[in-house]
Amino acid sequence: MRRILIIAIPIVALLAVAPNRLNGYYLNLLYITVLYVGLAYGWNIISGYAGYFSFGQIAFFGIGAYATGLIVVNLQWHWILAALAGGLIACALSVPMGYVMLRLRGPFFAMGMFGLAQTSRVVITAIPATGGGSGLFLPPGSDLRSIYYWTLAVTLGAIALTMWIDRSAFGLRLQALREDEQVAGTLGIDVTLEKIYAFALSALIPGLLGGGYIWFLTYIEPDAAFSPRLDLQSVVMAILGGVGTVWGPLVGGVLMTQIAEALWARFPQIYLMIFGGLLVALLIVLPRGIVPALTSRIRRSV
Amino acid sequence: MVIAQLVVNGVLLGGVLALSALGFNIIFGVMRVVNLAHGDFVVLSAVFCAVVFAQTNLNPLILLPLTGGAGFVLGALVHRYLLHRLPGEIASAEASSLTLTFGLSFLLAGAGLALFGGNYRSVPFLTGAYQLDGLSFPQARLLAFVAALALAVVLGLFLRFTAIGRAIRATSQNVEGALACGIDTDRVRTISFALGTAVATASGTLMSFIYNLNPQMGVLFTINAFAIVVIGGLGSYTGAVVGAIILGLAQSFSSYFAGATLSEAAPYILFILISLLLPSGLLGRRTA
Repeated sequence: MRRILIIAIPIVALLAVAPNRLNGYYLNLLYITVLYVGLAYGWNIISGYAGYFSFGQIAFFGIGAYATGLIVVNLQWHWILAALAGGLIACALSVPMGYVMLRLRGPFFAMGMFGLAQTSRVVITAIPATGGGSGLFLPPGSDLRSIYYWTLAVTLGAIALTMWIDRSAFGLRLQALREDEQVAGTLGIDVTLEKIYAFALSALIPGLLGGGYIWFLTYIEPDAAFSPRLDLQSVVMAILGGVGTVWGPLVGGVLMTQIAEALWARFPQIYLMIFGGLLVALLIVLPRGIVPALTSRIRRSV
Repeated sequence: MVIAQLVVNGVLLGGVLALSALGFNIIFGVMRVVNLAHGDFVVLSAVFCAVVFAQTNLNPLILLPLTGGAGFVLGALVHRYLLHRLPGEIASAEASSLTLTFGLSFLLAGAGLALFGGNYRSVPFLTGAYQLDGLSFPQARLLAFVAALALAVVLGLFLRFTAIGRAIRATSQNVEGALACGIDTDRVRTISFALGTAVATASGTLMSFIYNLNPQMGVLFTINAFAIVVIGGLGSYTGAVVGAIILGLAQSFSSYFAGATLSEAAPYILFILISLLLPSGLLGRRTA
């Protein structure tokens, strides 16, 4: 723990002063990196620790985004309060959704969640107050620096939460039900309840992040708020870093955002192809992800 | 009359979707792998056919052996060099094959974008329609339906009566039993993945008659195939056909009564409802 703090404190301090030093492009990149890392941590709780692969956590990002936007437009709250409320609304909605969806398993849950995200997008588009497919313009209320600090705070919170989960009895219960849900149940773990807790946490984080993202865009529209690309890329990052580990989403997120960004800038036509090829190749070489591969190598050499 | 026309539209659509779902079903049945790249194979082939048609005006049915054959070879390579190499000791093999096909889906969509660009394309031939008793049968849809049905029947006969088909069915029913009978299940897996991919690319050629597609729309066809197979029961041949007709009808009715936007969600909602309420599908076995 002390060793982690020695490394973490200077890094966090650097991240906190970074907006004073960086120009627009690099602050943008830093924001996107922190956003992806946060999304990857959110996914990692339900999918990494509890073993329920979800391709639809973006549903809660979108719900948080729309709730924030609607609160600001209609109630004129300060955007940070609205984003907080948006995250809590997404989290609250995730409880009944999780109660139903977590009865599905494996690929059924994964694709079911994808379907739920798409269905949420369609339903939100159908509500007149959201502006439908053309979306909603936001009054000026924030700048990139504030959005960055908000996202950094949420992401750091997600990392702290994951560090706690990794050491807690709650985390052990999640891992037990990941390995064998029936056996976990016979050990007296209320699996339904634990899964819903994990699911709600995995909804809270993207919900909070969504409330910041709309200010980055300055408007909300369904395809941006429920962007499959944002969702799938954050999943890829968590997988490459190491599913169900404390540092996997951080390593995968930071690394892959830079790679994605560099590829996007240099080879926009073949960007997606290289990204996919990289994912496939890494899965074959390091099937459990970068962090587990590194730690097992370090352990072996000691 | 409107209802009858909607039924016709739904059944015609369902026939083509059934073929794609059968490919998905073979792979799942034999390998228990949910192939998330399935729809990307479909769309890649469809866009390829549209590009060739725009250049040469060739009847796309001629391309069927080519797209099917290319799919077979590609599928065999993917299984041999990628899926087969996944280490078995990882906590759940299901999750690792899921992530691999997920990456493959990016790769294929990206390859499609790099090769053909992001434009929406289709094969604009046979734009007329037959009229019968006040019902309209668009020629392109009818042709796609008949061709899909014919291919599905050939596939069914192949699975039923050939030695390889029997080996595929045996492996999907009971791997250990198949091994005990001297079936090389590794080879059967490769052949099944290749066959499933070939069916996907062949169905893609037919999809190009009726859909306007771009290379990034693969996930739509993955979820369609998955939904159909879940409705009909995983691993069931007749189930896939029945499921496809149901999904086709659901899409044609919901787009008429609820509008194009809401009907987009129809396959997703159907998928979630059926997996929750009827986990083994309408015609599936009660196991697994």
